[in-house]
Amino acid sequence: MSRVFDELTNFARARSLFILHYCTGCGAIELPPVMTSRFDMERLGVSPMVTPRQADILLVTGYVSIKTLKRVMLTYEQMGSPKYVIGICSCTVNGGMYWQSYATAKRLDEYMPVDLYIAGCMPRPEAVISGLRELMKKIEQGEANSWKEYYRNYDYYLGNQQHLFGDQWQTPVDVIGEAEHYGLVGDGTRGEHTALLEQVQHPLKPLEMRL
Amino acid sequence: MRAENYQQINHPPSHAFELNFGPNHPGIEGNYALQVQVEGDTVVQARADGGYLHRGFEKLMEQRLWIQNIALVPRICVPDPSPMEVCYSMAVEQIAGIEVPERAQWIRVMQLELSRIAAHLFTFGGHAATTGMYSPMFWGVADRDLILDLFEEFTGGRIYSIYNLPGGVRRELPEGFLQRVTDTLDYIESRLPDYDDLFFKNRVFIKRAKGVGVTEQAMALEYGVTGPNLRAAGLPFDVRRDDPYLVYEQLEFEVPTEEAGDAWARTLVRRSELIESIRIVRQVVAALPDIGGPLRTPIPNPLAWRVPAGESYARVESSKGELAYYVVSDGSEKPWRVHVRGPSSMHAVQVLEELVKGGRIEDVAQTMFSLDACPPEVDR
Repeated sequence: MSRVFDELTNFARARSLFILHYCTGCGAIELPPVMTSRFDMERLGVSPMVTPRQADILLVTGYVSIKTLKRVMLTYEQMGSPKYVIGICSCTVNGGMYWQSYATAKRLDEYMPVDLYIAGCMPRPEAVISGLRELMKKIEQGEANSWKEYYRNYDYYLGNQQHLFGDQWQTPVDVIGEAEHYGLVGDGTRGEHTALLEQVQHPLKPLEMRL
Repeated sequence: MRAENYQQINHPPSHAFELNFGPNHPGIEGNYALQVQVEGDTVVQARADGGYLHRGFEKLMEQRLWIQNIALVPRICVPDPSPMEVCYSMAVEQIAGIEVPERAQWIRVMQLELSRIAAHLFTFGGHAATTGMYSPMFWGVADRDLILDLFEEFTGGRIYSIYNLPGGVRRELPEGFLQRVTDTLDYIESRLPDYDDLFFKNRVFIKRAKGVGVTEQAMALEYGVTGPNLRAAGLPFDVRRDDPYLVYEQLEFEVPTEEAGDAWARTLVRRSELIESIRIVRQVVAALPDIGGPLRTPIPNPLAWRVPAGESYARVESSKGELAYYVVSDGSEKPWRVHVRGPSSMHAVQVLEELVKGGRIEDVAQTMFSLDACPPEVDR
């Protein structure tokens, strides 16, 4: 019975996706054509959304500088599960053109699990559409489970974030508590990095989230 | 969420508050933020918060070969990338003393003007969307796509064309291309009355945009405002006419100006510029079949090309304003220093901070779009 229910929810989920596109870089310029009348992603049931809590897909469009990556992490952790991450442009895969830049984070999947990459500099609107269709297929088959990996391997991702942002890094979201809530605590959820987080963590005062 | 992060905030007994406008906001032209102090509806103070798109371009360019930088420079300004590569090529040609064949110069002019048309159409859409009209946005993006199709046909890339080299352009125009350019321009010209009805003469737009973000002429000069924003304040300065490069001397075009200097005037100047750009491209299309000759002056092996020591300053008129490259060579395989003088770093930081002050909160997005600032170029 639960399997039937899962299939039904996956079927429904794949057909109503709301994108939060954080315009981190150049790839954002190809999104207006995708959204508007020529390529029109709304015929696939995909529509833009302005708030993270109501969105399903986080679209990271292009290179992420370190200052932006902090905001991307905050946005990602605020989104409700199940959530999917798409990395657009070569820069999210391996740094792309900016492989030697001092200001950008090179690989997105060191900081958050990524469901799908759309490579290219920059990918054409057709490539974005076909990537979205690919993601819909994966969701329907129940394979787009990267958000579970974040809970299971939280220590690894947090370690990379601490390496980049410093030991004092913390977000308002209690990821381990959420992992317990979903029953997704794995071997990699707790470790030395989460121990460090618990040491330095303090309750955030209102308006203190200045990055 | 941890419960302790949700404390009751005891607001001060005032209606003044601070608002983070961006970095991920539909009224911001990209990854850019403003910290706005608001009192009621009125903006008291604004502070630009950039750096989200910083990649360290000027440093990166010192670490790459002269020819590799051609692929890097268009990334500086995403909506209008062509002036970047043309301007960088012009700067390198000046140092190396390379003459560009005439046919290549005409093709470059066509590329620059097509890029300007595409960028202006995109800006109209953005400005319309910030005043609550979404139909012109759909139209602007769709019509811009027609220009991008032309770019794809003759350069191979929709956005980043990487079509120029120091010395000329890469390849010959495809067969029948000029006819397709004419057809596209005819179509865009036939759309302009529709745009007028829906957007430029729309009472909503006029009421929202008139008197918003006024730049006086003296202030514009003081802050280093260039391009359409300066011409909207009544000063007819255009690099294409006043310091001609390529073949602009042989072309006929007007430099449109407006007196008001507000958001409405800036967008109207862009509309007139779009018409002038169409006129220029038509002249190029008429002239190109008669101009033969090679497409580029051969340069030495680009992988080991040592540009002679020297320095140069090249400037072009991009759709955002005056764009310039200052390049210094010490005679090695890589540039010793490259400085980019972008128009947006003035428009989006000092000028924007000044213009939104005293205005209303709903006009902040409109002011930014009417200045046509380009965040990746601010941060570089």
